[in-house]
Amino acid sequence: MDRRTLLKSLAGTGALAAVSRFPAPALAQGADARTLRFVPQANLANFDPIWGTQYVVRNAAALVWDTLYGVDENLAPKRQMVESETVTEDGLTWTFTLRPGLKFHNGEPVLAKDAAASMARWSARDPMGIMLQGIQEELVAIDDRSFRWVLKKPFPKMLFALAKNNAPCSFVMPESIAKTDPFKQITEYVGSGPMRFVKDEWVPGARAVFAKNPDYVPRSEPASWLAGGKKILVDRIEWIVMPDPATASAALQNGEVDWWENPISDLVPLLRKNSNINVDIADPLGNIGSFRMNHLYPPFNNVKARRAILMALSQEDYMRALVGSDDKLWRPIPGYFTPGTPLYNEEGGEILKGKRDLDGAKRLLAEAGYKGEPITCVVAQDQPITKAQGDVTADLLKQLGMNVDFVATDWGTTGTRRAMKNPPGQGGWSMFHTWHAGADCINPAAYTAIRCNGDKAWFGWPNSPEVENDITAWFDAKTLDEEKAAMRKLNKDALDFVVYAPTGFFLTYQAWRKNVSGVVKGPLPFPWGVSKTA
Amino acid sequence: MGGYVLRRILSTVPVMAVVALFVFSLLYIAPGDPAAIIAGDQATPADIERIRQSLGLERPFLVQFGDWVWRILHGDLGTSIFTSLPVTNLIAQRIEPTVSLMVVTLILSIGVAVPLGVAAAWKAGSLVDRLVMAFAVFGFSVPVFVIAYLLAYVFALELDWLPVQGYTPIARGFWPWLQNLILPSIALGAVYIALIARMTRATMLEVLQQDYIKTARAKGIGQGGILFIHALKNAAVPIVTVIGLGIAALIGGAVVTESVFVIPGLGRLTVDSILRRDYPVIQGLVLLFSFAYVLVNLCIDLIYTLLDPRIRY
Amino acid sequence: MSVVSDLASAPLAETPAIGAPKLPDILAPVKPHGRVVGFCLRHPTIVIGGGILVIMILIAVLAPYLGTVDPTTLAPSKRTREPSALFWFGSDMLGRDIYSRVLFGTRVSLLVGFSVAFLASFIGLAIGLSAGFLRAADGVVMRVMDGLMSIPPILLAIALMALTRGSVGNVITAITIAEVPRVSRLVRGVVLSLREQPFIDGAVAAGTRVPMIILRHVVPNTLAPLTVQATYICASAMITEAILSFLGVGTPPIIPSWGNIMAEGRALWQVKFYIVLFPAIFLSLTVLAVNLLGDGLRDALDPRLAKKL
Repeated sequence: MDRRTLLKSLAGTGALAAVSRFPAPALAQGADARTLRFVPQANLANFDPIWGTQYVVRNAAALVWDTLYGVDENLAPKRQMVESETVTEDGLTWTFTLRPGLKFHNGEPVLAKDAAASMARWSARDPMGIMLQGIQEELVAIDDRSFRWVLKKPFPKMLFALAKNNAPCSFVMPESIAKTDPFKQITEYVGSGPMRFVKDEWVPGARAVFAKNPDYVPRSEPASWLAGGKKILVDRIEWIVMPDPATASAALQNGEVDWWENPISDLVPLLRKNSNINVDIADPLGNIGSFRMNHLYPPFNNVKARRAILMALSQEDYMRALVGSDDKLWRPIPGYFTPGTPLYNEEGGEILKGKRDLDGAKRLLAEAGYKGEPITCVVAQDQPITKAQGDVTADLLKQLGMNVDFVATDWGTTGTRRAMKNPPGQGGWSMFHTWHAGADCINPAAYTAIRCNGDKAWFGWPNSPEVENDITAWFDAKTLDEEKAAMRKLNKDALDFVVYAPTGFFLTYQAWRKNVSGVVKGPLPFPWGVSKTA
Repeated sequence: MGGYVLRRILSTVPVMAVVALFVFSLLYIAPGDPAAIIAGDQATPADIERIRQSLGLERPFLVQFGDWVWRILHGDLGTSIFTSLPVTNLIAQRIEPTVSLMVVTLILSIGVAVPLGVAAAWKAGSLVDRLVMAFAVFGFSVPVFVIAYLLAYVFALELDWLPVQGYTPIARGFWPWLQNLILPSIALGAVYIALIARMTRATMLEVLQQDYIKTARAKGIGQGGILFIHALKNAAVPIVTVIGLGIAALIGGAVVTESVFVIPGLGRLTVDSILRRDYPVIQGLVLLFSFAYVLVNLCIDLIYTLLDPRIRY
Repeated sequence: MSVVSDLASAPLAETPAIGAPKLPDILAPVKPHGRVVGFCLRHPTIVIGGGILVIMILIAVLAPYLGTVDPTTLAPSKRTREPSALFWFGSDMLGRDIYSRVLFGTRVSLLVGFSVAFLASFIGLAIGLSAGFLRAADGVVMRVMDGLMSIPPILLAIALMALTRGSVGNVITAITIAEVPRVSRLVRGVVLSLREQPFIDGAVAAGTRVPMIILRHVVPNTLAPLTVQATYICASAMITEAILSFLGVGTPPIIPSWGNIMAEGRALWQVKFYIVLFPAIFLSLTVLAVNLLGDGLRDALDPRLAKKL
């Protein structure tokens, strides 16, 4: 190439660039109405919904992968990728048949072997899946559309396990990907759901992009939570991660984003004043705040010390610190299960009701032999929910005359620290704060935090055969009345033993621009049925 | 000249090695555990142990460090623990916003600060001088996030002139790109403007007393010619030094600015990675920052020779 | 972070010497005032800066007696109240009194600022002196310092904070580590230029031992630039503490500090601006005072440096 042609071609590209630049805003405006810009609750840092079980990963994965079953808004399991299932009379052999015509995003058909491999990987990580694995005889594909799951003993909660919205969900992936070690991350995202993951545009910590999958065939039933026809009405969904709620609020007011998953309640009055913005409760199942104690070391190895906390803690203080001045957003719960769900009960909850008894709590602490040992409180500061609870706890323990060793840290370090079984002074801990999504706490199925199987239990390692028996009784229950009876006993025993101290039940808001319609309340932000006008 | 550049580049090797070892050992003894974060809230201790083993985090310090250095020498910065994307990709995705923010801030700061400093020096002792110097001290004293929130409130929310947040790649047009960078650059630039204005004023004051300026005046050269051609040229070396040293402060300030204005840049990546204990990303970023700092200082040394023929290496 | 301190050290250590040798400074004309009044008139920035700083120190010391309540007492039912007769600066998200928190917060900021200034100067002096005098140590020590300096100071401090649990002591340590390299460079620069001076040669020739030379001739000569540098470090340390707390990796949140109050109020700045406003005013005013004091000290102690800046 000589110099002249080089110059010419350079000039040419320059002109092209100049021409192509001007129409860009117009194009962008047209595309705007078909792009939904969504501010998620947290950063999508990894994208393997079996390996990483954070809520935000589950929410993104629900766009990209479909499940065999899905719960509807009554928490009833409904068929999703499955066309029909049969179970033998003894309850041991389940046979599932897939809907015809299902395709992965790479164009390959969804076969029974893919579903079987996906269930194998899922059951290695899911609490209910692990129970299934423990009683599993075999899990094999029979032909292209059917697979069989044979058990050694009946598992009445099978369909619920495959339909539940708790992470990890039973997402279906191609067999080649599902064969990945469940403890290693997948690196290919070949979906089976209504949207494709645009990997090229994924900037972890900043944004994630999903494009409509034109080949997806929704079910004919109306959409209801994870069940029914998942019809996508926009071309693209852009997740824009905003760690600063003030900025997210400003961006929503300015119309730079369309839908914000978790506005903090103090900003809600401001958003309500804006005539272009709708605000509503995000998840009717809400969340339960947790004051988690270490059952291995003094003082909280003594049930009297744990009961002292229940006796003294004011759920109102915790909830106001957490959700702000809006009383519609919280309620006290004298128990461990999600209010408003069928199995909710307040059996044994008197200790959390009425006037708080600081003097009684101090006496109990003395009886428990507390002599001013430091209480190591591990409190994550980067999560508003744990931070607010931690501030209240520091004050509460101080009033109880306890010697507070306040370890302010981030959520990541809390994750490590709470796994340490060392004594509190030597790298261990006495208490930490977390929260459980109400959807996880409707029954003991996916509720790891209620388990009391000692060493194998969740952090804090509570050990109570009574509570464990109650949980087994629920799993074995065959009728709703049996379930309710089991749950009443479970709530009472768990409170008497103080598995952990619930700090209250709270709801969160979501907010969206008025040109967006179809947003529903649910345990995760469901994008199906959501449309947008310019 | 070529030999000098080569020697300077070689002398960065021990610096970078120190940085690498320092950062690696500090992160190694850190209390956080990526395995626990990955496993999520519902994971059991056994799950966490298995994840830790699959990540190779249970191996001895020297083995991990040696492994890391070996791969870097082969151009592999490793893979992010959280996203399982190559670190080089993560960094590449985020370089454009940060470099854009830096460049706009630099141009804005120099464009504002140098004339201010010159004006202050020219009218030394006057009201203009006092105002500029007062502004300079304020620029040092107000935290960057306070300036950022004030700017966003006035210009984005009340006046609706500019977007509150976000970043538009320059490929989507110059104006959309610039629009998103104006407020962050002003917020980030405040300290920098103060710094450069002070330095410009001080060196200009000194230069203006020199004999050759008096000669130029005697020759009848106009005030503007004297200030901007004769004096500023001779005052340039210390000003450039300050601009170079300020780069480190600028990268630090970018962390806050990027998080307030939601710019997907390297600063936010660094903070996120540190909080998440994503070791490979942190290590890659620190190496990159050290390298950038060293490179900028090398460039500045070379610029000296252009600005001032008396400087030779 | 420490752009100002860079300024002070840079021309000495980095800039190649240029221009003709300087003529001695012409002394300022003596004014017919008393010594104190005269000093004040000649150095108004020292008076203003020092004055504000003294007030802040008094606030910090007397915080419990200035109409404050316990700054950590919660009252969730009285949260986010506007400034009023009950809450002079309003109340925060947990119903704590912001006036009391801001006043007690003065203690943290001043403690961090003064401690970092003192420790960084002291450690930097030791490192700078040994690097300047021990040829063997110079290479290694200064490479380590170069390495530390090539990491942006705020990022270095964030990284150090992420390693340890939040405590005021750790904040001080982290910021000090980030500041030490600059002080070391400044001191080393002064030492290297002093080594060329005839009076050092004279002392060596007279058989004075090195420690004595350092103590008698070198240290006194570093004191002036070091004092000026220390004030700038103090100012930047206070800003850095606020930034670290703002990012959630600084002073433990149960201790009221200006950075913490602002970090807690940041999400609400659109609706409850006063939560951020009052600590921001106190922080800016204090940093301003320290910077003014630094400028004044620089003019008073080191006229040569003053001309450079």
